[in-house]
Amino acid sequence: MISTVHRRSQLTAIAELRWRMFVNGLRSKRGKMELVSRVIVTAAFSFGGFGGFAAAAGTAWYVVSQGKAEYLALILWPIFFFWQVFPVMATAFTNNPDSGELLRFPLSYRSYFLIRLAYGYFDPASALGSVALFGVLLGTSVARPALFPWALLVLLTFALFNLVLMQTVFAWLERWLAQRRTREILGVLFILSMLSFQLIGPAIEHLGKGPHPEFSRAAQITAQIQAILPPGIAATAIAQTSHGKLALGSLSLVVLALLTAAIGLLLHLRLRAQFRGENLSEAAARPKIAHVQDVQVGWELPAFSPSVAAVFEKEVRYLARSGPMLLTLIMPVFMLVIFRMGPMNPMRQSGAFNRTPDMAFPGAAAYAILVLTNLVFNSFGGDAVGMQFFYASPVTFRQIVLAKNLTHAVILLFNTALAWIAVSYLYGTPHLAVSIATLAGLLFAVPLNFAAGNLLSLYSPRKRDFSTFGRQNVSQTTVLASFGVQIVIVALGIAGFVIARLYHNLWIATLLFLIFAVISIPIYVVVLNRIDGIALQRRETLLAELCRA
Amino acid sequence: MLFVHSPHGFAGYARFEDSMDLAPTISTQGLSRRFGELVAVDGVNLRVAPGQFFGFLGPNGAGKSTTIKMLTGLLAPSAGRIEILGIDLNAHPVEVKRQIGVVPEGMALFGRLTGAEFLSFAGRMYGLDRTTAAKRAAELLDFMQLADQPKKLVTDYSHGMQKKLALAAAVIHGPKVLFLDEPFEGVDAIAAGTLKSMLQGMIARGATIFLTSHVLEIVERLCSHVAIIHQGRLVAQGSLEELRAGVEAQTPAGSGNGAQASGEKLTLEQLFLRIVGGERRTEQELSWLG
Repeated sequence: MISTVHRRSQLTAIAELRWRMFVNGLRSKRGKMELVSRVIVTAAFSFGGFGGFAAAAGTAWYVVSQGKAEYLALILWPIFFFWQVFPVMATAFTNNPDSGELLRFPLSYRSYFLIRLAYGYFDPASALGSVALFGVLLGTSVARPALFPWALLVLLTFALFNLVLMQTVFAWLERWLAQRRTREILGVLFILSMLSFQLIGPAIEHLGKGPHPEFSRAAQITAQIQAILPPGIAATAIAQTSHGKLALGSLSLVVLALLTAAIGLLLHLRLRAQFRGENLSEAAARPKIAHVQDVQVGWELPAFSPSVAAVFEKEVRYLARSGPMLLTLIMPVFMLVIFRMGPMNPMRQSGAFNRTPDMAFPGAAAYAILVLTNLVFNSFGGDAVGMQFFYASPVTFRQIVLAKNLTHAVILLFNTALAWIAVSYLYGTPHLAVSIATLAGLLFAVPLNFAAGNLLSLYSPRKRDFSTFGRQNVSQTTVLASFGVQIVIVALGIAGFVIARLYHNLWIATLLFLIFAVISIPIYVVVLNRIDGIALQRRETLLAELCRA
Repeated sequence: MLFVHSPHGFAGYARFEDSMDLAPTISTQGLSRRFGELVAVDGVNLRVAPGQFFGFLGPNGAGKSTTIKMLTGLLAPSAGRIEILGIDLNAHPVEVKRQIGVVPEGMALFGRLTGAEFLSFAGRMYGLDRTTAAKRAAELLDFMQLADQPKKLVTDYSHGMQKKLALAAAVIHGPKVLFLDEPFEGVDAIAAGTLKSMLQGMIARGATIFLTSHVLEIVERLCSHVAIIHQGRLVAQGSLEELRAGVEAQTPAGSGNGAQASGEKLTLEQLFLRIVGGERRTEQELSWLG
């Protein structure tokens, strides 16, 4: 048995460890760059957090002071979605060390569970979600000071629910993506859910034409359904109490707490298995008689050297075995569906996208570049000790990097094609001029992105485990720089389309993007030609960073 | 003749064998490496003749891994010159790497490939055509007894299996020189037997092997020549017999050292301890243990 004192001592030690890791991370030269980057990233997040806080506080104050506290659901739903979806969409910003490494110590299961939750709380989504909830609390309390204690209790429970759900989703996704059979089932479920979403759009579109009584009935049903889901329950708990119905409010709170406990139970099942040393290896049982196996002949790429083909094959095999990475790569299609249901929905009367469905394809293509960030800007991260092999082998880094870029380009092309099909299905076939302009846009954006990514891969590498979801040690310098490059690319892309629209000729965008490409392609070539020198100059840092245990 | 010196008072000479008259396969001149204030390797002059099985020894932190990393291009020297097969490593790194095989400390494996995929990949990276790479990969997997689990990822291999795979990848292109950093560390007797048999076969076919190891018994059994590094400086180099002769010549007659007094040959461990001056702490310093 582990005594309470011992447990407290362990938790203190782990907290100190996290602190020391943070402080020591700032000590090296890379640490200084990281410090600057972290300051900037923190400032950006603070700005976003403040915006969310202000919006949440203002809206909460308004609806509660109008005596319509049930409308708090309008704020709690976006917070809920942000909290759950952001960590999946933007894994680059997730910076949680693997708590599983602590299992070598005599840690009790309870401590392990708590540590896992605590690590999860340091996720940016959790931090920003909490800030927004604090805004809701402030707005509610200013409007109705007597509601403060109750709102605090409800919102704390809601925050805990979000935290536990996020950890549960991560833990189970990781489990399902770890093995081929469950990965395939998950893939089928994902496709089915995508197809199901398609039914919502036409249904709403149909109901939206004219003053259909079905529409108001559907809206009522939606309102009822949302009310029995966690954000709705939290809003109801506060609303009922604000209307003087404490018993109903309490019932809602109890339901929310029970839901949290139920989700917590699912998390417990997963973490318990991890704690007991679960092995998700897909290795087959050892056969009784060893046999000489035939080794498949490697791939060949026309027009590329055998070593480029070898690295390309290796990269593709790595990605194909990384469930989390595959999920990230299909996010553009997922985002199209979200937009279809959200701001791009023709039903909506406001919002920029509903007037420009033509921009769906360029938007999806831009997002396809964005989801490649982890791969392009930390292209050696997944190689870990394999980096030694690259340095020991008689192959230039120019070829290795070229092969990696080739892999990224193929994924991007695949994603873009998929996005084109999805856009055609969801919004209608993109106009030829838009399609060509988007491809021209990729022609300028991709080389620029790859050039910056190749440099950062060598200057700010971080070891990355392709088999785990989130829980990666990311470089803030890379996050910030990649973000900067992508902002420039998106800004130039938007500028191109805006100018073309001003002149009512989308071919102008194509022309502009081709001019940009004339600049960005030589930049890529120059960087690629200098890669060997940089790799040689940076070899100690790279090997130290990527080969560490 | 090579000067052999010791921080503990030993000084003598070790004579090179006739093979050193040939152009050395590995040679370094004034090889040094600094990490800030720390001089990890200090002016090392190594000469390894063709066909030698060369053991590079030293206590923990002496500079063995730093040296082997510099010899294989994984680390830049602060000063000095390295020639492998007569080619300047700094000037022609790719040319050198094409002719050597390396098993570094971390084994340089790609965990999310199967053994067969990794070997096929390694073969092509070393310039073999696709068919030859696949054929040799199959032969090596069979020889290393790794062929029975074709779908197993390298990351799921045991430590010994990973060592065998790393060695297989290092030899797939038939290198003339092989560098091995602690190849027997964490390897069981069966796997060690397989590794030794392969290495001895390579030596018999004229390859040169340079290895670092803490297991002095294995080095004594396998290596024809050794060098000892201590605190970054090379303190001994030569054949085992030459080192033995050098140590015995420096020990005063009748000093009563066990093996010498009884007329037995000094073991490599005894030579090593004599040269680097290993001292053992008494147990009382950790009296709380057990």
